[in-house]
Amino acid sequence: MLQLPTFTLTAWGLATALTLFLLVRVFLLRVYRRYPFFTFYLGANLLQTAVLGYLYQSYGFNSTTYGYRSAWATQAFVVVARGFAAAEVCYRILGKFKGVWALAMRILIACGAIVLVSTLYFGTRSYQLAVITLEMGLEAFIATWIVGLLLFARYYAVPVEPPAGMVGFGLGLLSCCRLLNDLVFERHVQAYQDVWNYVSAAAFVGILLLWNWFMRRPATQAVSEPQLNTVQVYQSLIPQVNRKLSELNQQLSQFWRTESPKP
Amino acid sequence: MAHGVAETVNSVFFFVAVATGLALAGMSFWALRGASQRRVHEHGFRALDSAPRDLDNMPQIRQSMDPADFEFARAKGGRHLETRLRGERRQVALLYLAAIRRDFEQSLRVARVIAVLSPEVSGTQEYQRIRLSMMFRWRFQMIKVRLLIGIMPQPQLIALWQMASSMAIQMEQTMAKLGERAALAAELALQSEK
Repeated sequence: MLQLPTFTLTAWGLATALTLFLLVRVFLLRVYRRYPFFTFYLGANLLQTAVLGYLYQSYGFNSTTYGYRSAWATQAFVVVARGFAAAEVCYRILGKFKGVWALAMRILIACGAIVLVSTLYFGTRSYQLAVITLEMGLEAFIATWIVGLLLFARYYAVPVEPPAGMVGFGLGLLSCCRLLNDLVFERHVQAYQDVWNYVSAAAFVGILLLWNWFMRRPATQAVSEPQLNTVQVYQSLIPQVNRKLSELNQQLSQFWRTESPKP
Repeated sequence: MAHGVAETVNSVFFFVAVATGLALAGMSFWALRGASQRRVHEHGFRALDSAPRDLDNMPQIRQSMDPADFEFARAKGGRHLETRLRGERRQVALLYLAAIRRDFEQSLRVARVIAVLSPEVSGTQEYQRIRLSMMFRWRFQMIKVRLLIGIMPQPQLIALWQMASSMAIQMEQTMAKLGERAALAAELALQSEK
């Protein structure tokens, strides 16, 4: 551990303390009941810190062999845990609206898959950076999911529980930060190597501060289960609305053509 | 870490990916800001309770747009009176345009409530509505610009407004027939009290 730069060591210590504090709050406020995967993600972070501490102690911070591979394996574990936490947030926000949830799932999975595959395909030509590319793909996938979810919620005016909104926002923002960080790292590998660690740690600490601030007191707002209509309501009304919208657009189009200056 | 790397990510991908990452971060801010506003203001589905009331003023608005009025004003009061009347008429038309937009948005809000409270939604129908509403908004803005610069015959707006209004009214009536308003109101009440 003595080989670690002071700033990295400080950031790790701070992140660990904040994660522990947050985890305690999560249990005290019983948030873990509604957000088990998010709780698991926080626990995974603590576990990763412990494992990394051991690896760096044993193999050194700049190891390129076993220690390096093992360190990245733990990172994959944490990113996957974050992916599950993101999926959980999505379900918490939209899951009770069955129709929209099914639609959102289809669209978000398709968008996420496109982003993931594009990142993996175009991301790198270097074997050495394959792990970073994989992480970038997963981060892009998570960020797309969270942003897509928030856009869906906004479009359909779905009320968002404050904890779900804040957890989702934090996960999405963290993924965006890490994605950008990885991109810059891939671009300027040698020069950016140290800064990459700092930025990564700083982003995580920032998000942890946000979550801790938000969970300083119990959430008072909750969204109750909606009473869904029968599917016939949708089937009878929505085609009418779309037909009317189409007519309205045709009317507007006619105005435009009628009034356009003739050449 | 990553020692000996000779070849890194290409430039096009780098810039596209950075732009995408920044856009995603920006959109998450925007979308979440919307969510917090929604909690405060969005008892918004109360739009369901308000049929387009501007219909009551229809005869007066139609009268105010009658081109014969201009001829009459010019004959009786001269060019100054006609200019003043034209300016006021433009203001009326703009208000009219705002009413059209309001009725249109109200109908869209109702449609979203129906969709969100439905156990099944059709991707095709939802996509079609999004596409049509985007087209409407674009054309609407164009017409507004043309109205502002004085090349849009104002009486045509009446037909446009009637269409938007009738859509809202028709939805109201259909919903009443289906007897689903109570369920919606209950849902909305739950949301608003939370």
